[in-house]
Formats: sequence, structure tokens, C-alpha cells
Amino acid sequence: MFARLVRESFVRNPRRKILTAAALVVGMAVATSTLTIALEVGDRLAREFRSLGANLLVTPQADTLPVEIGGVDYRPVNEGAYLKEADLGKLKMIFWRHNILGFTPFLDVPAYYSGIDPQRSTNLGSLEARTNVTLVGTWFQHEVPVPDGTKFTTGLSATNPSWQIQGRWFADGTNECVVGASLASKYPQKFAIGKTVDLTNSEISSVLFPVTVTGIVASGGTEDKVILVPLSFAQQFAGHPGQFRQLFVSALTKPADAFSERDPLKMTPTEYDRWFCSPYISSISSQIKTAFPDTDVRTIRRVADTEGRILSHVGTLLWIVTLAALGAAALAVAATSAATVLERRSEIGVMKALGATNALVTSIFLAEQLMLAVAGGAIGFIVGAGLARTLGSSVFGTPAAPRLILLPVVLGLAAVVAFAGSLIPLRRAAHFDPAPILRGE
Amino acid sequence: MFWRLLWKLLRGSRGRLAVAILALVSGAMVISALLNLELDVERKLTQEFRMLGANLVISPAQDGQTQMPGAASSALMNEKDVLPAIQNLNDPAVVGAAPFLYIVERAGKIPVVVAGTKLEELPKLEPAWKIEGQWTPAPVDQPPAVVGRNVARQLHLSLGSQLPLAYLDRGSEFNVAGILDAGGAEDNQIFVDLAQAQKLAGLPGQIGLVQLSVTGTPKIIADYAARLAASLPSCDVRPIRQVTQAEGELLNRIRLLIVAMVVLILVLTALCVLATMAALAMERREDVGLMKALGGSISRVVGLFMAEVGVLGAAGGIIGTILGLALSHWMGQRVFGAAISPRWEIFPLTIALMIAVALAGALPLRLLGKVKPAVIFRGE
Repeated sequence: MFARLVRESFVRNPRRKILTAAALVVGMAVATSTLTIALEVGDRLAREFRSLGANLLVTPQADTLPVEIGGVDYRPVNEGAYLKEADLGKLKMIFWRHNILGFTPFLDVPAYYSGIDPQRSTNLGSLEARTNVTLVGTWFQHEVPVPDGTKFTTGLSATNPSWQIQGRWFADGTNECVVGASLASKYPQKFAIGKTVDLTNSEISSVLFPVTVTGIVASGGTEDKVILVPLSFAQQFAGHPGQFRQLFVSALTKPADAFSERDPLKMTPTEYDRWFCSPYISSISSQIKTAFPDTDVRTIRRVADTEGRILSHVGTLLWIVTLAALGAAALAVAATSAATVLERRSEIGVMKALGATNALVTSIFLAEQLMLAVAGGAIGFIVGAGLARTLGSSVFGTPAAPRLILLPVVLGLAAVVAFAGSLIPLRRAAHFDPAPILRGE
Repeated sequence: MFWRLLWKLLRGSRGRLAVAILALVSGAMVISALLNLELDVERKLTQEFRMLGANLVISPAQDGQTQMPGAASSALMNEKDVLPAIQNLNDPAVVGAAPFLYIVERAGKIPVVVAGTKLEELPKLEPAWKIEGQWTPAPVDQPPAVVGRNVARQLHLSLGSQLPLAYLDRGSEFNVAGILDAGGAEDNQIFVDLAQAQKLAGLPGQIGLVQLSVTGTPKIIADYAARLAASLPSCDVRPIRQVTQAEGELLNRIRLLIVAMVVLILVLTALCVLATMAALAMERREDVGLMKALGGSISRVVGLFMAEVGVLGAAGGIIGTILGLALSHWMGQRVFGAAISPRWEIFPLTIALMIAVALAGALPLRLLGKVKPAVIFRGE
């Protein structure tokens, strides 16, 4: 009898049901897509922030003070400490190895080329005048062997994707070079693409290291004034095979909070485990430090703090917007369910006049709402997942994957909202006197 | 007569109208709050991006195309030429500006880079730098110096230590007022007052470069740079492109994301209001039947309902917008720690939108023109 009543209601007047169902579908589609995006946005944005450059800097601990102004290190080559290139694979063996998106070693060497610069050169009489320039050995795309047998490709292409190159990058292991934009525009004849420049490692040395210019790079920073060469070339040039001075690491991190800023030594074992197993920048840097003893791992504050702050703010903002979306969806569904119940007052009157109890009337209506909620919620989930895909690909370039975990959440939400919307008018209907309703008042 | 009918209609069915008003008010509230937030979010985010530090550099033009010059050996400019120009433009977009003069001095036997600057401007220019101690301490006998972390470690300095610095035959004693943790080249430098550095280097009034932190979209920054360059013909003004570009890109993504969410919610809210109004209109069928039976022309009857619905829309819109602006104020406090100022253009926008949606919801009433009163009265 109960089932027949419910079925009859659907069959007899499907138009009324369509309104509630449509509201449910639209509402739940919006709820699904906003929730999917909100769950995903932190990770996506954190990846986007990596275009700002590296957020960790590893330097040898015993290093002397770099005397560096405007990207030119005035320190002699044989001073200071170095790091070993062969150890770099260990970076991909730490606990948070998958969060290490890339790393790039740097080796700065002072170099000289023949040519006259009124400010920097020293005229040595009979010898040709030579100009001081900084040579930076690095990787653009380099395969690093990881101790577990795999290979990891990294370099400037991973840590500094925003650098703009005209021409092409040097190939690994060659004597090609890429010249900074400022330097190239200062001496356009000398540093044109395709030209070969003879470098020496001291003002009076006669051993020439020829390099071929393959591109001109604009970074907007100090690199615009230097010559970038493959790391192996710089090591050979400086006489420090297999060594480098600085390592920039780009790591995917969780925004810092009060907990992550605490001193790990003062944490309880449970707190320490939680800290160690969260990708905070402080825990990643301490893991790198364990992998590379005798180094200093520093957070590049400008980048890391900006990222942390904006990520947490945008995250909060999106959750508020998501809540607003959920609220609006709930309201839409509740309002339409309320309207359908109000519309069917005379039906309720007839039922009650025929002896139906309030409980029976309420349960018939709620059963209808539940069926609508399940159907509308399921369709809404599918539509919403599609919407999130489109949104994800238009905002971040890659579609957001549907999350099945949201399906029960959305269905539950649909049921709660549809119930809540019809309960108030149903409670009022319980107080209806059938007679005036049937009279049409 | 029209107005009296309208008034009766509005008073007569308070229960149903309450549902409609509730839908309209909450719809207008969500829409106006989000629109306000959307319009303001760019400004708020660009302010947050200033954590990245300086994004504009003024350097002497003679130094060719270099962007980060300032070594004692490179070209210099006179501070009296440059700093007044920045002050004259007096743009509120400038968050911080500091002149720099870099010289290599000796602390004992160790050569170290000393940056002469305005110490009090640095926390504004580089808010991300962490300092132990203070940038501008209470004056003591010796001038203050802020030393980078590595310098402090290498020279065994702590807060309050004495730091003798020498350049050629000139020397001076400084008092360590702060230890800086910047996570960059600045950790290897010592920051002192510009006048002290000029005195030590024997370069009175000279500076190597000026760094500025300008808030705004990449276009605003480029415009400001152009105006500054126009007033400083002998200098090179250029944005630190890596920062501005990455910043612009990120800003776009975040805005796009918020716009997408806001549009979704706008559509949803509008639909919700539409559905409620449509339900309300359909309930009025009996009234329409009665009026038609009493000889009311259909255009007059529909006009009456449209007026009712329009009044509802306007009332809901006004109340909702006020609540929405309050909501966005609260959201601004909660998310950015700074209130979001209400935008008055949102008022007409939201109210017009609400009236339009309410009227659209009443459109099914037009179908009533075909309705025969008798059919409705029979209850079919």
C-alpha cells in the first residue's frame, strides 16, 4: 500500500517531481565540483608556485663567506668548501622524495675573456686586456642516477621554468654556453648566438677554454650578467671535478603553521612523527640535512613565506566559497521541496480525511524525497565531476580527477537537504484541519 | 486600486512570501558577498605577493643593461637625484623603497660585503626576512649594523657585539643590532645605515641602486616603472621580471579559480530564486482565475503580479546586499586579516539581478492568459 502510494505519486504528476529533481541535480553538481576543486587546489597551486623558483638552498657548512655583489663572486676559486656531485642521487632517497620536484647544482668560477671593459679590466701592457666575468656551471636537463637504480631528470628546466631562452640551452657535457641577457646586450658582437668565446681562468693564463654560445637567457635576476655552462665544463675549468658550491632545491611543501615552526628536538615522539611525516618545509630541509651531513640547508624565505601565506589564504577563501556554494545548493533544494509540499496541501487533506495518520503522511512524503535525493544526487555527482574536470583543465591545464569518496557525501547531503526542506511544511501540514483545505480555503 | 490590490496581495499570503523573501535575501547575500570578494581579491593578493620583496630596481644608466648592479666598482648615482623623484610621484602602490650602496670591507682580515641602506625601510621592502633583534634599535654610542646569519657565524657575532669594519685606511665600530635570516645572498652581508657606508667608502651622497616594492598587477607595476623612468632620464628603471611574471601568472590562476566558483554559485543562486518564484507564481493561479472571472484584463492581472514580484525582488535584493557586504567584510577579516571595503556598485548590480530573476520566475504567469477561469475553479 505504502509503496503503491509513493509510486502513484510519481506516475500521476511527474512534472512536480521534475522541479525538485532538477534543483537537486543542479545543487549537487555545484556541491560536487566545488568540493572536488577545493580538495585539489592546495596541491595544484603549490605546484604552480614552483614557477617562482627553488625554495631551499643547500650550501657546504665549512664554506667561507661568499663575497658576492650583483651575482659576481669575488672569492678566489681555491677558497671555500664544495659539495660532491656524486651524492646528489641521495636527495631522491629521503622520506619526502616524491615532493622533491627538482634540484640544480651551481658552481661559480671567475673567468676572463679578452675584450675591453673600462670599468673591470686591467691593462697588462703587452698582454691583451681581459675582462672578468662569472662562469656558472649548472644543469639544464641532466639525468641523475638514484641509488635505487632509477634515473631522475632535473636541472634548471625543473627549478626555474620561468627563465626565457632565445636560441637553445647548452647540451650536457659539451663546451657550449648560454649568455645572460644583460651581458649579451652589452657586447652584442662578442656574445651573439653561434660565436665562440675563448675563456681563461686567470688574467695571465694562456690556456684557452673555447665555448660556443647557443642561446641568450633572461632570468630577470643576477644570472643575466653571467655565462652559464654545463656543470662538467665548469668543474674542469675550475679544476674541481665532481664538485659544486650551491644546490637549489624545489620542493612541494605544505604551508607552514605554528606546529611546523616548533623546534623538533622539543617535540614528544608522537608530535615528532607527525612533523616528520608532513611535508613541511622544515621537515623536508631537516631530512635533506640528514642525507647531506656537513651542509647548511636554508629556506629561501622570500619564496617559501609568500607561498605558504598565499596558499593558506586562498585555501581558506576557497573553503568559504565552497561553504557558500553548499549553502546555496541546500537552499535551492530546500526551497523547491518546500514549494512542492505546499502545492500538495489538498492531497494531504484528502489523505488525512480518509484516515491517514500524520506519521503515514510524513513517511510517504519523506520516502518520495529520499528517492528523489538519491536519483538527483547521483546524477548531480556525475554532472559535477564533469564540471570539475572542465574547471580543472581551464584553470590549471590538467583536469581534476573525480573523487569517488565524495559520492556518499553528496548523496547524504542531498538526502539531508531534501528532508530538511520538506520537514517544516510537513510539520505544518500535520496541524492542518482537513475540512478547510478540502473546501479550498 | 492597483496599489491597494498590490498591498493586499503582499499582506495576504505572508507565509508563502516569507519563503520567497528568504530565497531572495540569501541569494542576494551570497551573490553580493562573492562579487565584492571577487573585485577585491586581486588587490589583496597583490599585497600578499609583496612578501616576495623588491620587484623594481633603479640603477645608473651608464652601467649598461645590468639589473642588479651596485658594486663599488660599478657606476654610481647621486641619491639627491633619485630619491626625491620617488617621493614626488608619491604613489600609494609603493610599499617600500630603499637605496643601496654595496662595498667590500674588511672585518678583521675577512672581506665581507657591506650594504649601506635605510635600515628602517628594509622590513617594508622584504617582509619575509626574519630578524633576531631589531632593524632600528634605540640609539647607542655606535651606529647599528644588521648582520646576515652566515656573517654572524663566521665572525662569531651575537646581538650587542662590537663589529669593527675597515675600508682602505678608514675604520669604524658598529654595534650588532640584529641577525638576519633571509635564506639568500643577504645572509652573507652586513647592513648598515647608508650615511655610515658612504662615509666609510668615501663616497658621500652616492648610491649604487634603489630597490622598490610596488604592489599591483604586472600592468600597474609596468606603468609605474614607465612614469618613474620618465622622471629619471639618467637612470635605468626595470622590473625584476622573474618575480613579476611568476606573480602575474599565479594571480591569473587564482582569480580564474575564484571567478569560476563565483559564476557557478551565481547561476545556482539565480536558479534557486527562479524556482521559488516560479512555485509562487503557480500558486497564484487561483487568484488569476478569480480576477479574470471578475473581468480583469489579462495584461492588468499579469502586471499586478509582476509588480508584486518586482517589489519582492527589490526588497530581497536590498536586504540581501547589505547582509552580503557585511559577510564579505567578515570574510576579509577571516581570510586576509584586513577588512574588504564594500563596493557601492554592487548595490544596483545585485538588486537589478534579483529583480530580473524574480521577474523571470514569474514568467509562467504569462501562460495564464490562456487559462480559462472555469477550469481553475473546478480545481483542475
